Amino acid sequence: MAEPTAGTSLTRAAEGLIAIVLVLLLAFIPLVASTYLIRILTGIFLFVALASAWNLIGGYAGYADFGPTAFLGIGAYTTGILMTQAHMPFPLALAAGGLCAMGAAAGIGAVLLRLRGHYFAIASLGFMLVMEQVAANLEITGGGSGMNLPVARGFTPFYYWMLTLALAAIGTGALVPRLRAGYALGAIRGNQEAAQVVGVRPLPYKVLAYVGSALFFALAGGVYAYWFTFIDPPTVFDPDFGIQAIVMVLFGGAGTVLGPAGGAIVLKSLDILLTNTSGLLHNVFFGGLICVLVLFAPRGLVELLRAGRRHLPDRRRLQRSGAG
Amino acid sequence: MMLLEARSVTKLFGSLRAVDAVDLTLAAGEVVGLIGPNGAGKSTLVNLISGLERPTSGTLVFAGHPLQGEGPAARARQGIARTFQVPQSFGTMRVRQNVAVAALFRGQPAASVPLALREADEVLEFVGLTAKADAVAETLTTPDLRRLELAKALALRPRLLLLDEVMAGLTPAEVDGLIAVVRDVGARGVGVLVIEHVLRAVMGLCGRIVVLHHGQKIADGARAEVVANPAVIQAYLGVPYGAAA
Amino acid sequence: MGIGTQIVLQDAVNGLLLGGVYAAVAVGFSLVWGVLNVVNLAHGALVMLGAYATYWFAASGHLDPLATLPVVGYALFLFGYGLQRFVINRVIGTSFLVTFLLTFGLQLLITNLALAWWTADVRSVTTAYSGWALTVGAVVVPAVRLVGAGAAVLMAAALAAIMRWTQFGMAVQATALDREAARLMGIPVARIYARTFALAAATAGMAGGLISLSFPIFPAMGTGYTLVAFVVCVLGGLGSVAGAVVGGFLLGLAQTFASAWVGPNYNNIVAFSALILMLVVRPAGLFGRAGHFRG
Repeated sequence: MAEPTAGTSLTRAAEGLIAIVLVLLLAFIPLVASTYLIRILTGIFLFVALASAWNLIGGYAGYADFGPTAFLGIGAYTTGILMTQAHMPFPLALAAGGLCAMGAAAGIGAVLLRLRGHYFAIASLGFMLVMEQVAANLEITGGGSGMNLPVARGFTPFYYWMLTLALAAIGTGALVPRLRAGYALGAIRGNQEAAQVVGVRPLPYKVLAYVGSALFFALAGGVYAYWFTFIDPPTVFDPDFGIQAIVMVLFGGAGTVLGPAGGAIVLKSLDILLTNTSGLLHNVFFGGLICVLVLFAPRGLVELLRAGRRHLPDRRRLQRSGAG
Repeated sequence: MMLLEARSVTKLFGSLRAVDAVDLTLAAGEVVGLIGPNGAGKSTLVNLISGLERPTSGTLVFAGHPLQGEGPAARARQGIARTFQVPQSFGTMRVRQNVAVAALFRGQPAASVPLALREADEVLEFVGLTAKADAVAETLTTPDLRRLELAKALALRPRLLLLDEVMAGLTPAEVDGLIAVVRDVGARGVGVLVIEHVLRAVMGLCGRIVVLHHGQKIADGARAEVVANPAVIQAYLGVPYGAAA
Repeated sequence: MGIGTQIVLQDAVNGLLLGGVYAAVAVGFSLVWGVLNVVNLAHGALVMLGAYATYWFAASGHLDPLATLPVVGYALFLFGYGLQRFVINRVIGTSFLVTFLLTFGLQLLITNLALAWWTADVRSVTTAYSGWALTVGAVVVPAVRLVGAGAAVLMAAALAAIMRWTQFGMAVQATALDREAARLMGIPVARIYARTFALAAATAGMAGGLISLSFPIFPAMGTGYTLVAFVVCVLGGLGSVAGAVVGGFLLGLAQTFASAWVGPNYNNIVAFSALILMLVVRPAGLFGRAGHFRG
C-alpha cells in the first residue's frame, strides 16, 4: 500500500483532469452507444466495483474473504423484499440493503476476523454457503424458487447506478490509504503483532474493511437484482462473483488503488470474449489464471510491469509480508 | 516509584519453564541490560511485559499499577514500546509510513496523518534513516530494518523501551552510533531494558545487568560484578570456566 | 420400544453412517494440513475424481466399486504426487494466502474441466447390493452405507497404522514436527511431502469411491466435501486420525439430527455453526495439536 507518489501539484492536477474527462466520457456513452455496448459496460462496472471492494478486505487488510458474495445476495434479497413487500422505491430499498449487509458484516466479522487467515477464509466461504441455504429455506425470499422484482422502466439507469458504484468503490480505495484507518490496515496486513505493539487494535479495523467490502457487494447485488428482475439463491449467492473479484484483484495487484479496477476491466472483457466462444471454459480460464498468477506473479501484473527487468518477487518477501 | 516491577513472574509452556519466578525492577531513566545464553527466557520476558504473552503466575507492575488483562495495543498506549528480535516491518508501506503508524496510534490526543508523517521524519533523522524515508519497507537491509524497529518504538514516545537484540549484525561504528541514541533516550527519562549479546553494547550502555539462565535470574547487579560472577561465567561458558573464576 | 426412540435410533445410525464417510474424506485433508501446512481447497475435487473414476469403472466395466477401490486409490496417488511435486511444492513455505489461492485455482480448474468433459448430469453407481438393508430391531441399515462407513473406518485405521508403525510414517511425523530438523537428519523432505500429499489424495479418491455407493455424483460435489473436511478437522483437531474419525461422526450426527428435527436443507448451516462454535471455544479441536500428525 504505497503512498500516492509525491508528484508535483501539476502532475496531480493533470491526473485529476484526466479522471474527470474520463468520467464525463463514460457519462455520455449511453447517449451514443448501442444497447449491447451499454450492457457490456454495465457488466464491467459491476466487476470494477466488486474488485475494488474486495481489495479493501483482501488487499488492504490482507484477509482473504472467500465468501464476499454472501453480501451480494443479502443486498439483492433485501432490496427485492423491500420493493415487493413494502413497496419501497428502488433507491431506498437499495440503501436499506446496504445497511443490512453492513450490519451482518459487522456481526459476523467481529467473530470471524479474530481467526487467523486460513480459518477466516474457509469460515467466510462457509458463511456464504449458509446464507444461500437460509435464502433457500425462508418463505419471504420465495425459497428455492426465487423471487421476482418489479420490472424497471428502461435499462439506462442501471448503467449509471453501476458506474456510480464503480467510481465510489475506486474512490474509497483511493481514500482509505490516506486515512488513519488505512495506516492501521497497512500495519495489520504487514504484521499483526507488530501492529499491536505500536498501539493498533486489529479487530475494529479489520471489521471496518470487511464492512466496507460488504457494503459495495450488497449495493451491487441490489442493482443486479433490479436489473435482472428475477433472483434465486444459486444466482445471487453464486461463488463466481467472488472468484472473479479475487482473480481480478490478484491480476491487477492487491493493495493498489487502480490495480483491481484495471484487473476487472481486462479480465471481464476477456471473459466476455471467452463466453462468446465457449461458455464452459470461462471457469477453466479463471482457475488456470489463478494458478498461473499465484505461481509466477503473486503481486499481480501491475507490479510485474512496474518491476520491468527486475526479477520476480521471491518467496521470502512473500513470507514476510503475507497474511496468515 | 519503580517504572517497572516484575514480581516472581513465571511463564510455562506446557512443562517448559520459560521464565521461572523472575524478580526485576527498573527505574525511569535507567538503562538495564538483560543477558543470558540463548533460550534463557529473555525474549519471553519481553513478550510478557509487552503483553504478547500472559504470565502463568506472578505480577507485572508498570508505573504503579499492575498489568492485568491489557493486550499489547493497550500497553503500547500506556507507554511500553518494544522491538522484535527479527525485525517486523509493515512491509508494503514506506518507511516513513511505518513510523507514522506508531505516531498515529500511541493514544495521546489523536495526531492527524500529516502531523504523524512530520513526526516520523524527525524520528527517522534521530535514528539515521532519513535517506530511506521513501523506500518501501520490505526492500530494506537488515541493519536498516533494525533502525526502523527502533524508530517505530521511539515514535510511540514510550516511558519504557524494551530493545530485543537491536545491535545484532551491526559494525562496531554502527553499534557506537546506536549506543549514543539509546543513551540519549535514557537521558530523557525513558526506562530502557536492553537484551543483547553484543557485549560492547551492554558494557557501553548498561549500568546494571540482569542475567537469566534456564528462565531463572542468576545475577542482578553492577556490570563489573556481574561479568565476574562465577555463576554467570558458568552459564555462558560451562563449569570448568566457572570453577576457575 | 416407542416410536420416538426408534426414530432417534434410526437417526443416530444414519448419522454415524454419514459420519464414517465424512471421516474418510477428512482424514487426508488433515494429513496434508498437519504435515505440509497446506489447506488444500482442491481436496473435495480429488474426492470427486475418485467418485467419477469409480463410476466409469462400474458403468463401462461393470466392476464393483469396492473391487476398484485400490485402483482408484492408486490412480489418485499418482495424480496427487504429480500435483504436489510440480505445482504445490513451489509455494510451500510462503504465506497461507498464496497456498490457499493456488489450491483454490486448482479446484476451479479440476471441477470445471470435469464439468466440461462429463457434463453436469448427476450420476450414480448401482451395485447388486444397492438395495439390500440390514434390519437390527427397528433400525434399518442400508448395506451400501454400512459398507461405506465400515470401509472408511478401516481406511482411517490403515492410515494411522502407516503413520505409527512404518518408517515412512515416522519420517512424516518428524517432518511435520520440524521440517529443518528432519532435513538435517537426512529425511528427503520434498519427497516426503509429495508422498504424503499423494497418500492424502489416494484416501480422498477412495473416499470418493465409497461415496459413489450411496450418494449422487456431479462435478460440483467437491466444494461441499472440502467444507466438510475443514469442519471435521476443526472439530476433531488437526494432526490426528482419531480426531478426524470422531469429528466426522460428530458432524454426521449433528447434520442428520438437524435434518430430521429442523429441516432437510440445513446441512451447511449446521456445519458452519459447528465450525464457528469450535473455533471460538476450543480452536485446537478435540484431539488436536498443531504441527503434529500421529495415528
